[in-house]
Amino acid sequence: MTVVIGFEGSANKIGVGIMRDGTVLANPRRTYITPPGQGFQPSDTARHHRACVLDVLQEALQEAQITPQDIDCVAYTKGPGMGAPLLTVAIVARTVAQLWKKPLLGVNHCIGHIEMGRLITGAQNPTVLYVSGGNTQVIAYSEHRYQIFGETIDIAVGNCLDRFARVLKISNDPSPGYNIEQMAKKGKKFVELPYTVKGMDASFSGILSYIEEAAHKMLLSGNCTPEDLCFSLQETLFSMLVEITERAMAHCGSQEVLIVGGVGCNVRLQEMMAIMCKERGARLFATDERFCIDNGAMIAQAGWEMFRSGQTTPLEQSWITQRYRTDEVEVTWRD
Amino acid sequence: MAGAAQPLSFTLTVPFPSCLEAQIAHDTLAPDAEPRRGGITKQLSVNRNILHVQWQADEARILRVSVSSFLDLLSLTVQTMDRFGPPLDSNL
Repeated sequence: MTVVIGFEGSANKIGVGIMRDGTVLANPRRTYITPPGQGFQPSDTARHHRACVLDVLQEALQEAQITPQDIDCVAYTKGPGMGAPLLTVAIVARTVAQLWKKPLLGVNHCIGHIEMGRLITGAQNPTVLYVSGGNTQVIAYSEHRYQIFGETIDIAVGNCLDRFARVLKISNDPSPGYNIEQMAKKGKKFVELPYTVKGMDASFSGILSYIEEAAHKMLLSGNCTPEDLCFSLQETLFSMLVEITERAMAHCGSQEVLIVGGVGCNVRLQEMMAIMCKERGARLFATDERFCIDNGAMIAQAGWEMFRSGQTTPLEQSWITQRYRTDEVEVTWRD
Repeated sequence: MAGAAQPLSFTLTVPFPSCLEAQIAHDTLAPDAEPRRGGITKQLSVNRNILHVQWQADEARILRVSVSSFLDLLSLTVQTMDRFGPPLDSNL
């Protein structure tokens, strides 16, 4: 038996998860929620994480009903993400690893999403769409790397949705994306927006600028409702994501799609992807908000795979890094 | 002041209950370097149960930010030791 504890705090969620050989023993999480119209700033987010990380850790240990002696490895998010929140969580991971005399393991956040998605869904060798507030990538495994086939050339798709929510002062509780999804269900009119796919890459900043500029004018003139805008934005963004995913699948000859990352729990995105998969005779795999949204268990799970394949991170090399590409990691745990 | 020959410096001395805890704090706080070309350097060392930190900076503004965020992290590692310590005996 191998037990790994994972610490995640690269954005506005702080989570501690404990995994034992593919079983989630505990996965508590807290979210830093800002008022409508406001994003989360690094220093405020770090303050939030500092205030609750130790409570979340205690909760995880209690829920898992284990003692520190039972743990084999302490995994934490090395990057990518916001510097101050990443560092806050790394400090706690380094401290407990030393207190408990356990090896430390720095995990790439994107790899955490992929490995947790594979574990939960049982997808064998999927084309992965990783969509969140900070990342948008189409990934496929080849030659001991998660290769990036397509990605955003500017902002992440979730960042586009979050910032649109700020324009309309949509609540950030539980998340702006969730509230956009609910409003979009009531949208009736499709407003045409720019559509910007370039090969297997996509661009979202132009769409955001367009809708930021146009939203209030259209709403004031009564041309459309906020719900129509939510609906139109989702349809446009998600069509782009489906298109780049399909292109990568065709390129790789893949018959599986796995959606991970916070935007991945959007049911409309899953529906649209399912239609494409059906047409191609492919299978779609997705998870719910417990595992799509950042959590500690995903870091523990990637850590479990890495640790079992012989990797650890010496303390003096345990620095955090805001930039850390998915394809920098050598995947030593897959054939 | 910027451009002055003599850089600003700041020294911090933190006593811990034991040598081991001072070493844990050091190894927890040391891995993350100050940004290169940031106009600031930070050096950590341990002498018995005392953690020493020494900063040199070109500007007071940069020094203040670095020291302030360091103190937040120092406080977090101390709190973590208080709640999840004492350190396990390595012979167990």
